[in-house]
Amino acid sequence: MTPPAASVGGGLPPGARFAGGAVAGPPGWHAGDAPADRDLAQCVACGLCLPHCPTYRLTGLEVASPRGRIAAMRQVATGRRPLDRVFEQAMDLCLGCRACETACPSQVPFGRLLEGARAQAEPGRAAPARLARWIGLEGVLGHPPLLTGAATLASLARPVLPPRLRRLVPAGRLRRRPLAAVTEPSGPRRGTVAVLRGCIQDLWYRDVNRATVTVLARAGWRVVVPAGQVCCGALHAHYGHLDAARRLARRNHPVLAAADHVVANAAGCGAHLRSYGELIGADDLAARVRDLSVFLDEHGGPPLRHRIERRVAVHDACHLLHAQRVRDAPRRVLGAIPGVELVPLEEPGRCCGAAGLYNLLQPRMSAALGAARAESVDRSRAAIVAVGNPGCAMQIGAQLAARRSAVRVAHPAELLAAASRP
Amino acid sequence: MAADPLTLGLYARDASIIEGGCALVVLPSSADEVQACVQVAAREGLAIVPRGSGTGLAGGAVPLGDALVIVTSRMTRVLDVRPEDRLAWVEPGVLNQDLADAVRPHGFTFAPDPSSQQASTVGGNVATNAGGPHCLLHGVTSGHVLALDLVLADGARVRLGSEGPLAPGYDLRGVVVGSEGTLGIVTAVCVRLTPLAPVVSTCLLAFPDPLAAARCVAACIAQGLVAAAMECMDQASVRAVEQYVHAGYPEDAGAVLLVELEGLAAGVAHAVAELGTIAGAHGATSMRVAADEEERGQLWKGRKHALGAVALYAPHYYLHDCVVPRTRLPELLADVYRIAAEHRLLVVNMFHAGDGNLHPLFVFDRGEEGVLERVLTASQEILERCVAAGGVVSGEHGIGLEKRDFLPLLFSAADLGAQACVRQAFDPDGRMNPHKVLPAGARCGDFAMARGDGDLAAAVRSLPAGTWI
Ligand SMILES: Cc1cc2nc3c(=O)[nH]c(=O)nc-3n(C[C@H](O)[C@H](O)[C@H](O)COP(=O)(O)OP(=O)(O)OC[C@H]3O[C@@H](n4cnc5c(N)ncnc54)[C@H](O)[C@@H]3O)c2cc1C
Ligand code: SF4
Ligand code: SF4
Repeated sequence: MTPPAASVGGGLPPGARFAGGAVAGPPGWHAGDAPADRDLAQCVACGLCLPHCPTYRLTGLEVASPRGRIAAMRQVATGRRPLDRVFEQAMDLCLGCRACETACPSQVPFGRLLEGARAQAEPGRAAPARLARWIGLEGVLGHPPLLTGAATLASLARPVLPPRLRRLVPAGRLRRRPLAAVTEPSGPRRGTVAVLRGCIQDLWYRDVNRATVTVLARAGWRVVVPAGQVCCGALHAHYGHLDAARRLARRNHPVLAAADHVVANAAGCGAHLRSYGELIGADDLAARVRDLSVFLDEHGGPPLRHRIERRVAVHDACHLLHAQRVRDAPRRVLGAIPGVELVPLEEPGRCCGAAGLYNLLQPRMSAALGAARAESVDRSRAAIVAVGNPGCAMQIGAQLAARRSAVRVAHPAELLAAASRP
Repeated sequence: MAADPLTLGLYARDASIIEGGCALVVLPSSADEVQACVQVAAREGLAIVPRGSGTGLAGGAVPLGDALVIVTSRMTRVLDVRPEDRLAWVEPGVLNQDLADAVRPHGFTFAPDPSSQQASTVGGNVATNAGGPHCLLHGVTSGHVLALDLVLADGARVRLGSEGPLAPGYDLRGVVVGSEGTLGIVTAVCVRLTPLAPVVSTCLLAFPDPLAAARCVAACIAQGLVAAAMECMDQASVRAVEQYVHAGYPEDAGAVLLVELEGLAAGVAHAVAELGTIAGAHGATSMRVAADEEERGQLWKGRKHALGAVALYAPHYYLHDCVVPRTRLPELLADVYRIAAEHRLLVVNMFHAGDGNLHPLFVFDRGEEGVLERVLTASQEILERCVAAGGVVSGEHGIGLEKRDFLPLLFSAADLGAQACVRQAFDPDGRMNPHKVLPAGARCGDFAMARGDGDLAAAVRSLPAGTWI
């Protein structure tokens, strides 16, 4: 070999530097909750999360990807960019589905980062947007009577709403008859289970709550629906109202902590209750919370006496699959029903676009994702799609209706209640 | 198109640790749009940086200064799948895994399977001539690209290679594969499809240390055992991976070897037995054969996520990529651990053992004073050792910005000058991904200079770096 031509290892050309070291100034965050530097440092920019992110898949934009969102947070954290409208939009377009968390080998806690970033974006919003969010989250959601009022109004107004909004309001009448405070088990008692009623869930899907209580009682549990419980605060946390989320969590903590177990039948609420440890230090409660499917899978379900001869597809709610890392429990529990044939959906784990308030705030992206999800449900040739989260149920139901699909949306609790009738 | 500072900042880096900056980002959705963007850049004299998913590890997609970044993430159509011809045409932004998924129903796969296959684009794979675990049997990307469409720096469009097995004339397709975006932008790729193996068996072997595993690999190859993949991970990588996937890797083993055998049932059974014998003779402490597709998937998930999983140890990494003859692997590995220890660095090793392709991975926290300098010095020492052992400075990640100044370890001024001439033939103004691949001093003129006139040589040397003559 001829001798080397130039000096070896001459360094980087002008304009290039090694990443990670540059701090241009003090962090651009306001006081209060913000993405933690430690969490931000966890991302090595490998990009393995990109294909799992629904908003990146649809746009191809780095700014709409998990890696890009984290990099945007880093730019603010290192004082290179201010907290501006572009930053706010980048965070708003995120579904909060946390598919990136499941995909990330470095275990970046993206959900936590996003909550911090959203909390930061909040004060900079235009006044009307801030007011609307405040009324919605802190006014209505936190106060059961106001929420009932709003839901009643929405129900009454449904026929005259513009189609986009109308699809989001379920067609059924609101149920008046409240849930029983205590339901004794059919056989010998195994212990006490507290059921989180949920706010949206209890207004529009009280039948699901009722089915949940029934199924648990038939499985041998004394079921209590503690009075005094309020909205779990998940939406507040996801939309950057962390202080409000903490207030709600502190109210729920003593109310729910009395029971042996706490069951949530809405994936979003369950995931959030399980984060009460991180939020307010309520580890005792957080550790005892289970999604209904997980609880039945761990402890055994009710005796199943009736056949359901149907093809059933399970749509994984993001906050069950990604936030709680639960995939198999609903399939095992539903698969145990005699006659049920479980069928897979294409693109398992893909978000339906409901994502809390996302379908209101980002209608275009949400509709695109919802339509794609409904299409894959249709293609699976299932008769029933089982969905364990009210937001997803509304979204998929609406999108299926728009396609004039015959597939029925059901909560696993409803199927289990039907199969366990005495 | 994006031009706001926040968005531009997001395209300043890839998965390497090098960061730059750019003037404008465009996301064309067709070859026509790519051409239009390139024409604008030609008119304005802008440098062009092609980008796929930005998972490159050599800084190839990192723009410098006033560059136009052309991203292929919206060119994601599989244009044509022709099983009977064993080929498919795809746009460059199609992800490697999506391509494999699209052709699987036809009984085929796209053989190059970089660990980043779920996220990296076919265009990026072509541009870096990507390798992967299964390239041991099937060969790297170059062997799986039949033809490609290229937009040159002046906006001209050419098709190189052909769908048939033999293209007439010089193999310019071969020149473009691995050119890291310095010769043009790939706007469509005709890939060769590989039939899925009838039977696949994945074996996990445990060894007391990585050197023993490396010796076992050399012995397997010497004895003619043909494996589809042979991947080694040391204890630190195994522990990190287990935190993430819980694939059941033995965390107490000093190293594990993941071996995949494929072919007809009888052949595979025979090979598994043979592997067991060779491994036993080389100190393997256990061997497990994946029982089903799910277990196999978990084992591979572990291997393919090993790089990201080491963030468990520290927030920054610097991944190396160098190749040595397989018989020199044990010796090189010992050197890597020694060099790391001398520089007080944590090194993790996971590598394509069957190909002699080492991936020493330094894990560190940039917050620590002087650590980057130690990492860079150690890196250079490792590369020098590789070359001294008859190896090369990059196996599959490419040269990009990261390794360009190490090329003189391998090539003389005349060699580099000749390569610069090739580049100049495609891109006379030097606007395609400038500063990448060739070291700052490499000039086309060096080629002429090395062949003769000493005065010319002196004159050329006095020109500022980067001048094209
Ligand atoms: C976790 C991880 C594991 C990896 N494992 C492997 C591995 O096993 N084997 C391996 O070989 N690599 C591996 N890599 C490196 C990287 O994934 C590959 O180099 C991949 O081919 C890059 O594809 P990309 O789409 O991300 O390209 P980018 O990073 O965007 O670009 C890479 C280079 O290609 C050029 N380029 C991109 N698209 C085009 C185009 N259309 N036309 C012309 N030039 C273009 C860019 O200019 C740049 O020089 C790994 C990376 C990560 C993060
Ligand atoms: S979030 Fe995780 S997967 Fe995504 S780029 Fe960062 S480290 Fe990689
Ligand atoms: S939470 Fe969902 S939408 Fe947001 S970055 Fe992660 S994967 Fe993408």
